Amino acid sequence: MLKDNVNLAYKNIKERLSRSILTLLGISIGIMAIIALMGIGEGMQEAVSGELSSLSDTIIVSAGGSNSDEFDLLTTGLGADNGYLTERDIADLNRIQGIKEVSTQLTGSGIITFNSENTYVTLTGMDIDNQNLAYDNEDLSSGTLLEEGDQNKCVIGYSIAHENFDTEISVGSRIKINDEKIVVKGIFSKQGMGGITSTDNIVILTARDFEKITGQSNIKAAIVRVTNPSEVEAIAEEIEQTINENHGDDDFASATAMSSLLETIQNILGILSMVLIAIAAIALVVASIGIMNTMLTSVMERTREIGIMKAIGAENKDVMLIFIIEGMLVSIVGGIIGICLGVFGSQGMASLLSGMGAGGPPGANMTLTPVITLYSIVLAVSVSLIVGIVSSLYPAWKAAKMSPIEAVRYE
Amino acid sequence: MSNEVIVTKDLSKTYGHGRVKVTALKKTNISINQGEYIAIMGPSGSGKSTFMNLLGCLDSPTTGKLYIDGIDVSTLNDNQLARIRRKKIGFIFQKYNLIPTLNALENSTLSMSFNKVGSDDRVRRAKELLDMVGLSHRLNHKPSEMSGGEQQRVAIARALANNPSIVLADEPTGNVDTKSGNKIMSILEEINSQGETIIIVTHDPNIAKRAKRVLRIQDGVVSEENA
Repeated sequence: MLKDNVNLAYKNIKERLSRSILTLLGISIGIMAIIALMGIGEGMQEAVSGELSSLSDTIIVSAGGSNSDEFDLLTTGLGADNGYLTERDIADLNRIQGIKEVSTQLTGSGIITFNSENTYVTLTGMDIDNQNLAYDNEDLSSGTLLEEGDQNKCVIGYSIAHENFDTEISVGSRIKINDEKIVVKGIFSKQGMGGITSTDNIVILTARDFEKITGQSNIKAAIVRVTNPSEVEAIAEEIEQTINENHGDDDFASATAMSSLLETIQNILGILSMVLIAIAAIALVVASIGIMNTMLTSVMERTREIGIMKAIGAENKDVMLIFIIEGMLVSIVGGIIGICLGVFGSQGMASLLSGMGAGGPPGANMTLTPVITLYSIVLAVSVSLIVGIVSSLYPAWKAAKMSPIEAVRYE
Repeated sequence: MSNEVIVTKDLSKTYGHGRVKVTALKKTNISINQGEYIAIMGPSGSGKSTFMNLLGCLDSPTTGKLYIDGIDVSTLNDNQLARIRRKKIGFIFQKYNLIPTLNALENSTLSMSFNKVGSDDRVRRAKELLDMVGLSHRLNHKPSEMSGGEQQRVAIARALANNPSIVLADEPTGNVDTKSGNKIMSILEEINSQGETIIIVTHDPNIAKRAKRVLRIQDGVVSEENA
């Protein structure tokens, strides 16, 4: 019976081919949008998670008061201008249970001059020990990290070396930072994905050189690693309390576990994905109306045929089934085409988005790989099935309710 | 009652309400036996179609009773009527009324598929019937690829598919040429000679003459015409 109905539906679709194709296209576009946008959304989440998951044991401690929350960290860099950590703070941090290591860094701005071109950069000063904790020679594309005893040497990020100046900077190049002559000792590999951990725009100096160049020796931030990532939230709170007590200010410091930052970003991306999918859902609603319209027209055109079928013994449910199966067939085929288009479409969209990123601020360009999950495919198939059934339900009911006498007489 | 396939008791049909009420069929009492060959004659608007629709279970009477194979069908709902139609009644329409998208074989199997007959049995039965009406060479032809006479013969095969108790033919030769008409009539007579009850509605006195019993309808009243 089912096989007969599918056969009958197939013949009717073939009979009205161009109209069926147009209806089918509507569903395809809706499903394509859903698949592509879910793929992009999933891809964004994975890109961010991949970038940040290695930091699950990391806490960023910054002085800067109440408004220094996760978003400020991302948008303005470390710390606002209203306070610094002291040597005592750092010593206290080292005494907290569960902390593996504390590395401090000095942060300030500077101007690099190379071949009489200037560019503004953020300078980072760190002790050699701290540098070696944070980075590895394998992170570099050429040269080496700073070593004990180095003077007037720096390690720079990929973008500074290869993108910011007309002439590329290489290892051994002599540059000026705030008019001090500095030799480039190492260059980081391209990292791509942006955010707080990117090395693409970094300039690392020894703490001593940093003080000489900027005249500052202020600790704006410390990077804390904990032994057990599951304790990271609790330790972050303890750090905040300890430092705030030292300074007698409840809002002096902020300690942010990178894992909570990850959560926040994922929440935002989640909401963004939902909005995108909601937009795609509108396309599906339109497609569903399209199916209903086509089916209603088809019911009208086939009034006589319906009457004949009822006259020769089709029950109401037989007639309904014929039209529902036809609607389902159109929407399933449309859905499958939509899934294929969506898989390709998401690749295209991803490369478009990645391209846009590259044109934006350095460090914000990430390579986005859409992730098509089995879940999204199952969802797309079931959504198209439901759309097919729901939108053919009313036309099918209308067909089933026809009186066979009038329908047979219908010209 | 054992060989009475149709019995009507004061069967009436009224359309409309109040002042626009039209009685299309007035208290009809007839009985038709298994294997009869009956012609129903009457001018347009006489109530012929109403009578046909009632006998074919396409419509329910306003008052009175209609028994088909002993079953009181006057109180059945839509789906129950549909079941009676596909098990007990074979329709042949003036305009053939085949499904245009289906070929001859598929058209002949359609009512069997509504009757949940297995796929192999359906095809075997349909091929037998199409062979009987002389169309075994047209199995895969669609209605638009066949002549009127051929289409009507497919319709006959379709009508017989579920072994109905009654074959109702409404002007079966009205849309075909004389030669095809004769062929259709001889097929129907052949079926009748095998014991099938045939009821033909016609305007054509020549066709009515071939029947063994003629019912005449005038202004909603059915009367027996003695040969």
